[in-house]
Amino acid sequence: MNREKNATAAPVRIKNESSVLRADDKTLLERLSDEILMARVAGGNPAALEMLYDRYASTVLGLSLKVIGDQALAEDVLQETFWRVWQSAATYESQRGSFAGWLFRIARNLAIDAYRRRNARPQAMPDVVGSEPILDQVSDPDVDVVEQVQSSLQHKQVRLALLSLSPAQRQVIEMAYFFGMTRQEIAEATGEALGTIHTRARLAIQKLRAELDKEEFEG
Amino acid sequence: MDERQIEELLPFYALDALTEEERILVEEYLAEHPEARQKLEEMTDTVSALARGVSRVEPSPRAKKALMGRVAADVKARARASRQQQPFLSFLGGMRGENILRAFTLGIATLAIVWVIMLNVELARLRNQIATLNDALVAQSNSLNQIIASLPQATPSNVITVSLKGTDVQPQAQGQLIADPNSQSAVLVIAGLPPLEPGKTYQVWLIDGGTPVSAGLLTVDENGQAVFLVTSEEAIGSFNSLGISVEPKGGSLQPTGDIVVLSEI
Repeated sequence: MNREKNATAAPVRIKNESSVLRADDKTLLERLSDEILMARVAGGNPAALEMLYDRYASTVLGLSLKVIGDQALAEDVLQETFWRVWQSAATYESQRGSFAGWLFRIARNLAIDAYRRRNARPQAMPDVVGSEPILDQVSDPDVDVVEQVQSSLQHKQVRLALLSLSPAQRQVIEMAYFFGMTRQEIAEATGEALGTIHTRARLAIQKLRAELDKEEFEG
Repeated sequence: MDERQIEELLPFYALDALTEEERILVEEYLAEHPEARQKLEEMTDTVSALARGVSRVEPSPRAKKALMGRVAADVKARARASRQQQPFLSFLGGMRGENILRAFTLGIATLAIVWVIMLNVELARLRNQIATLNDALVAQSNSLNQIIASLPQATPSNVITVSLKGTDVQPQAQGQLIADPNSQSAVLVIAGLPPLEPGKTYQVWLIDGGTPVSAGLLTVDENGQAVFLVTSEEAIGSFNSLGISVEPKGGSLQPTGDIVVLSEI
């Protein structure tokens, strides 16, 4: 993203309950990196939080919805995720990883918690086996990427990278990442040996990394 | 489990798909193998990208409104708490007109008289208490001298005690950290932390200039109490804060959940 690193602090004014951004604030904040915005959130700046929300809410909601499968619950998780960001901003350390990675980890954990509270595990887990991948429509990259999703370059890059995986490798990644299943649960659900699951996970991540590097992915 | 088997767990660690026992094994291994940490960081970066692969879904305006409303209320509460720290100045700032000033002066005078009476009563009570405590102190000093005399080889101690308190998330939490600042370990005594639901754990963090370092996972008893041995590769005195957060089972590389305790040490 094109961001200015050393911009001065923008004035913040609370206009109403749903937005704290004035037009001039927004223009300035849009140019700031996630990490600089987080420093402002840590200082109690709601406008910086709103900018991060505008940047990531649709991805966080998409992620939560994939895990939970319920729009209302997923929106609760979305709200709770950014509330955690607001409350825990002082503990975020940019040297330890990107803001997006931290944010998605919070969202994913909250979504899995919500999913488990709603469903007695592991009832929904076996549905993954033999069904369409959670990262859906990856079998048709042209339709998926260009026509249906019309999303960001990053979205396209990740989807193309996922296409490089075999269905079995993708399944292991989906079960672990989206359902929070342990390796033993995955082995049991797929009927494969634990060693096979290990190999699939390792190769899948290696392959994803290689593809993302090839596409010059910038997370 | 040998090293090769632990290496096989790294992808699942990055995917956050290990049992608590497995996570602990991996973290112990990572602590001693920097090359494995490097490998894990690359895997974690890759896994983080997965979220970008899902179809993005536009949230309803209601979700944003609810969030920002909650945040605005929190901002107001923080401002109110800040104002309450200077009540007298705020009160003076709000005064208008001679009548209010007269009423204020009269009120202050009345309060002062009542205050003086109360102070005298309290003073008498405290004098009695001091006399009683002096007697007790003399008795305890005698006992202590006897103990010291019987322990001539005891080394001087730099042990300090630091009070810990809960955040707004868990205001009833409180505890103490008993430590020698030059030592790499300390004893944490904590109370007021409710037992967590399955799949969650408390994690203790030592913080140096904003960088949290995990000091271990904490389990409280049914009464919300725990005594915990905090250990660190650095001297305890090199850190300036201690925090406790709620994390997924097995803990996290850095705080991701509610911060329930945060105090300067």
